[in-house]
Amino acid sequence: MLRESMQIEGKQMDVRGVTQGFNEHIEVPHADVLVEFAEAVVLQDAARTARASKNMRAVLGDEGFVDAAAIVSAFHGFVRIADAIGIPYTSAAQGQDLPELREQVGINEFYRVKGA
Amino acid sequence: MSATLFAGSALAVRGDLAEAHQRAWKAIAAPGTWLTGERRVAAAAEIRRARSCAHCVLIKAALSPNGVKGVHQTLGVLGEAEVELIHRVVGDPGRLSESWAQSVLARGLSDGEYVEIVGLVAMVMMLDTCTRALGLPEQPLPAPQAGEPTRYRPAGARKQAAWLPLVEPQDATEADGPMYPSPKAGYIYRGLSMVPQSMRDYWALANCHYMPGQYVYQFDKSIRAITRPQTEILAARVSAMHQCVY
Repeated sequence: MLRESMQIEGKQMDVRGVTQGFNEHIEVPHADVLVEFAEAVVLQDAARTARASKNMRAVLGDEGFVDAAAIVSAFHGFVRIADAIGIPYTSAAQGQDLPELREQVGINEFYRVKGA
Repeated sequence: MSATLFAGSALAVRGDLAEAHQRAWKAIAAPGTWLTGERRVAAAAEIRRARSCAHCVLIKAALSPNGVKGVHQTLGVLGEAEVELIHRVVGDPGRLSESWAQSVLARGLSDGEYVEIVGLVAMVMMLDTCTRALGLPEQPLPAPQAGEPTRYRPAGARKQAAWLPLVEPQDATEADGPMYPSPKAGYIYRGLSMVPQSMRDYWALANCHYMPGQYVYQFDKSIRAITRPQTEILAARVSAMHQCVY
């Protein structure tokens, strides 16, 4: 999804950033602030989330901040359905996630794939 | 289209998001397909308990989730199988396996109960994570509603592609009620299909958080106040941190 949404805007990205961290060259406005916010929320770090939220509101405004929080929380639900029901991981992105892309991103190192 | 999500909060949020939260809590408190309202609210409470369970912390930190001895710190209302299901799905979802899922079922939980509880975990995690991310206080749990579960099992539910039975779009019947927005709905959409009401409740909430299905593959469009690449950076990073391969 990320790669497709970047390509349609004529932008390139290093997909390894999903697992290894994005560098400063990624062509998404405020990517660093977004990633920091996402990580703080996943880690349930209240102080870090508060700091990240302040930065989010400063650069995205309140509406952008609310939508970002909604999206981050949505993926706390999606991952649990996918992982607990055991839907086939080869069906991700409607089967369009090529094996080489999974390798490049680092998904093949995930427990579920390595244990398969 | 603004509203205030919680009393006492000055942060304005989209009206549909606030309404979706209210509807979701109401649905959680109502009798489900396999669980009473009381058991569903007890599951919601256990989901919150699981987030501070010391045994779950040990499991998460271990090289293998299967070798950790001990017991979950539980509220003591639900049975062992329900507690194991809730705690593992909350605390370490990326390292579940089919054999683990079968072991939960072997402890006496039906496949319908399993799927309904997974739906509750997904909803409560989404609701609570959202309020926490917005810096708002946790919502009090709703009072359970009286009534009997419907015990409806779709005729087309089959164990085929996943660890639990699914209703593939071509197998859905009118008796199941509204199921799929499109016959091409992805597997993530089909995940809860064995319990159609759970599936509907979940997606009514999730669509307001992320985006309705018809927009998912329209990569040149964002219906939110951030761009599509910004949306997908958040999605990808959260999924990766959970070791979710989807």
